[in-house]
Amino acid sequence: MEPARRFLILLQRELASFFFSPMAYFILAMVMGLNGVAFRFATALMDGRVQPHSLVSLTFNSFWFRMIFFLLFPLLTMRLFAEERKMGTFETLMTAPVRVSEVVLSKYLACLVFYGALWVPVLGNFMLFRMLTGSQAAFADGALVSSALLLLLLGAFNIALGCLASALSRNQIVAAVAGGTLVLLHFFLGFLAGFAKVSPEVLERVQYFSSLDHINFFAQGLIDSRPVVYYLSATLFLLFLTHQAIGHRRGGL
Amino acid sequence: MIQVQGLTKTYRGRAVVDDISFEAGRGEIVGFLGPNGAGKSTTMRILSGFLLPTAGKVEIAGHDIVEESLQARRHLGYMPEDVPLYPEMRVEEYLRYRAGIKGVSRERLAGRVHENMERCGVSEVRRKLIGTLSKGYRQRIGLADALVHDPSILILDEPTNGLDPNQIRSVREIIRSLAGRHTVLLSTHILAEVEAVCERVIILDRGRIKATGDPSSLARRLERGARLILEARGAGVATLGTALRKVPAVTGARENDLADGWRRFELDVRGGEDPRESLFRAVQAEQCTLRHLSMEPATLEEIFAGLTAAENREPETQPATDA
Repeated sequence: MEPARRFLILLQRELASFFFSPMAYFILAMVMGLNGVAFRFATALMDGRVQPHSLVSLTFNSFWFRMIFFLLFPLLTMRLFAEERKMGTFETLMTAPVRVSEVVLSKYLACLVFYGALWVPVLGNFMLFRMLTGSQAAFADGALVSSALLLLLLGAFNIALGCLASALSRNQIVAAVAGGTLVLLHFFLGFLAGFAKVSPEVLERVQYFSSLDHINFFAQGLIDSRPVVYYLSATLFLLFLTHQAIGHRRGGL
Repeated sequence: MIQVQGLTKTYRGRAVVDDISFEAGRGEIVGFLGPNGAGKSTTMRILSGFLLPTAGKVEIAGHDIVEESLQARRHLGYMPEDVPLYPEMRVEEYLRYRAGIKGVSRERLAGRVHENMERCGVSEVRRKLIGTLSKGYRQRIGLADALVHDPSILILDEPTNGLDPNQIRSVREIIRSLAGRHTVLLSTHILAEVEAVCERVIILDRGRIKATGDPSSLARRLERGARLILEARGAGVATLGTALRKVPAVTGARENDLADGWRRFELDVRGGEDPRESLFRAVQAEQCTLRHLSMEPATLEEIFAGLTAAENREPETQPATDA
């Protein structure tokens, strides 16, 4: 009972710190703006032309949508641990009777909840489009569901990556750059492997990890269990590393 | 309540805290005294479970701070140096949050928060954002936070730092009122604070314990006894210094000229001796007139200066003995 209550209090405080900071609204505005552009371009591509792709697929495969990804995760995660370290509040937090795992999970989960909230208006775009045009043909409901699932999985993984970067530094900029680089490298893994002269067998294996391919696949309304398992297990591993990093740093000054 | 044995913390091969052992019993107020960089904050950070020791053992209310960290931290109220707080939170909101994660039950939470806001004098700003408050308030919010879950042990790192004289008095009042029921370990580099608040002092310098004891017996136990002030003028005032130094109990003398031919002598006297009579005779023998003769017991300040100065000389004498 007591650990559950403690965790809820920590989570509540982390959520509040998101919604009470001007940064949150800046991020929200940025995501909505870039998504609006991505969405508008996708509708423009479909306008008066026959397209082999659906509206969902065109939106989530666009350049603008990718831009959101690289900006969003570093901004979202850089402050998690780095800010508390910088302000010294990490000391009051960690000397209270709380477990490292509770602190890591509450920060991570609050971030994920905020991330989820960011996509609500974006998914609303599609519903609004359907209501206004009455067009059923632009996309299938299933494609929206599978895309939402993948967005959640990508968020879970990339936020965990940012968490680790933030746990390793007391400087938010360093945390953001490190986290952003990791997100970028991972995201384009499949793309980059295409340039490197690797054998087709290696390329095939690398593509298992390619977020670009996952997005392409899920946006068509297909659900592949391999990426689901991959993102979930990688997330757990990254959170474990974050936990170890926080615990280990108690040994230093 | 607090047991520390052979505590060592090395950082990049340098011992910041070097083999410290001490105990603090229930209800005792113990002061950590030392110059900046003596290892006070590092020791307190280890005691509070924030840093891991390199070697040694720390027990808080019977729980090992490394092995049973969570249980140990339950008994602990810790206020770090510079009192870090969340600037975007309101005072009462912050204290409620802190009480919650420290396990204060729902029923007792509001009561505990109000009681401690009252006690620390922050009730009038309870709806204000912490970021807008002065250092004095922030310091007392930190103290209210340390006290909010009614811990049996309090570790306060420089609790009166940055306060005005009135606030210092009220914070010391609060700390004194904790004696008996709570064990308090506080650090300071202000000697008057230790003399005003603590029952026992631990003097730290360069990561080591230099001396320990209650403030007054510490003065007696250490070889630096009293200090004597003497003012005289007359025919033999030029040679008076040499004569005074010959008095057996006098271990050192400094002199300087005052107006109208008066000369002031500051004499160090061995502990437990009172050479005032012999000094008076020495003044007479030099055909001088005496206008002032007083003896002051050594203050902690002087003990402290003596202890740390002796240490400071060490590196200089080292090469000489090698050569």
